[in-house]
Amino acid sequence: MSEPRTILIVDDEEFIRFALSEYFSVLGYQVDVAGEWEEAEALLASRRYRLVISDLRLTGFGGTEGLEIVRSIHQRWPGTRVMLLTGYGSGEVRAEAIRRGADAFLEKPMALPEIARIADSMLARTA
Amino acid sequence: MTGFSAPTEPNLVDRILAPGGLRVEFQPILDAEGPSAAVHSFECLSRGPAGTHMASAEILFEYIRRKKIEQTIDRACIEAALEAGSRLAGLPHFAVNVHAITIATDPDLPAFLKRAASSRGISTTRLTVEIVEHAPTWHEGSFLDTLARLRGLGVQIALDDVGLGHSNYKMILEANPEYLKIDRFFVTNCPNDRKRRAVIRSIVELAHEFEAAVIAEGVETREEYDWLADHGVHLFQGYFFSRPLPVEILMGDAWRTGLPAGKLEASA
Repeated sequence: MSEPRTILIVDDEEFIRFALSEYFSVLGYQVDVAGEWEEAEALLASRRYRLVISDLRLTGFGGTEGLEIVRSIHQRWPGTRVMLLTGYGSGEVRAEAIRRGADAFLEKPMALPEIARIADSMLARTA
Repeated sequence: MTGFSAPTEPNLVDRILAPGGLRVEFQPILDAEGPSAAVHSFECLSRGPAGTHMASAEILFEYIRRKKIEQTIDRACIEAALEAGSRLAGLPHFAVNVHAITIATDPDLPAFLKRAASSRGISTTRLTVEIVEHAPTWHEGSFLDTLARLRGLGVQIALDDVGLGHSNYKMILEANPEYLKIDRFFVTNCPNDRKRRAVIRSIVELAHEFEAAVIAEGVETREEYDWLADHGVHLFQGYFFSRPLPVEILMGDAWRTGLPAGKLEASA
């Protein structure tokens, strides 16, 4: 039996959390959401997710500081895939994100089907 | 096109601290010494708002530690616990969880506890402060002073999770607790685990030297209870006896009878 497709969505904007959560739930993912990084960390401390989709610039983080998210996730769950979403990306930040282990770095706005396609592809590689 | 304004949602901390945001359940600690078991006290266990991740105590407290708001939430949990506990007749004893960092950095904690208790008709002599998350306390002087003032109110001290994390000998020496709580990690399957048995025996011996009582947490089977009782433990907590219960189930004097203490006789 394949592992459940568990996903954690982290974004400080409620409508983005709602949109991603509803979309991925319909696709059969088991979805948790967090509105701030401390909430996400509390969830990650108690359960493993196959994929974390996180806004890069959560309140309190800026620029490459937000990339600490990737290290924090992989320190606890090395096999968890990390997708970063940002509306403020630069080539430099993208390169640094990938260097630090992010599996995908996407710029907002992006269509939900495209985000889901990339997520499916990421998880297929770890199935 | 007009701009979209997302409605402002209350932040998670505000939701936790809102009226009714914290829910308290009471898990009995049974004293099995003597011919029949009796309720020794209740541990007050807080949960966050229903329908949120914070309804899980594990996630709630992981969150508040990462937000570094232990003091605020500890006080709110104490208020909620005493408010609910005041509805129980028969003057039961309560154990409230307080982070070590709160004891170290909140010098007004004893006064707050006294006010919160007396305003609800609860004597502080009925309270135990259970120290959790024994992180290194850099304000050691404040920590010991606050403990002394709590004791001056007749409050007893328990050390949670003995054997785990930062629960070290220095902490035990300095806190000099009335109770040492053996974490469920050591209790689970202890009858069949030589090394767990060794750890438990060492804690029981340590408690004896400190003239402290041992509370075994997470007792889930008759075998675990029997082994622990045969090795110097007489205070027990766990699903073998009772899950945490809302106050509505324990209302009035209900907690004196019909509680899981009967399970010991029933399964004998």
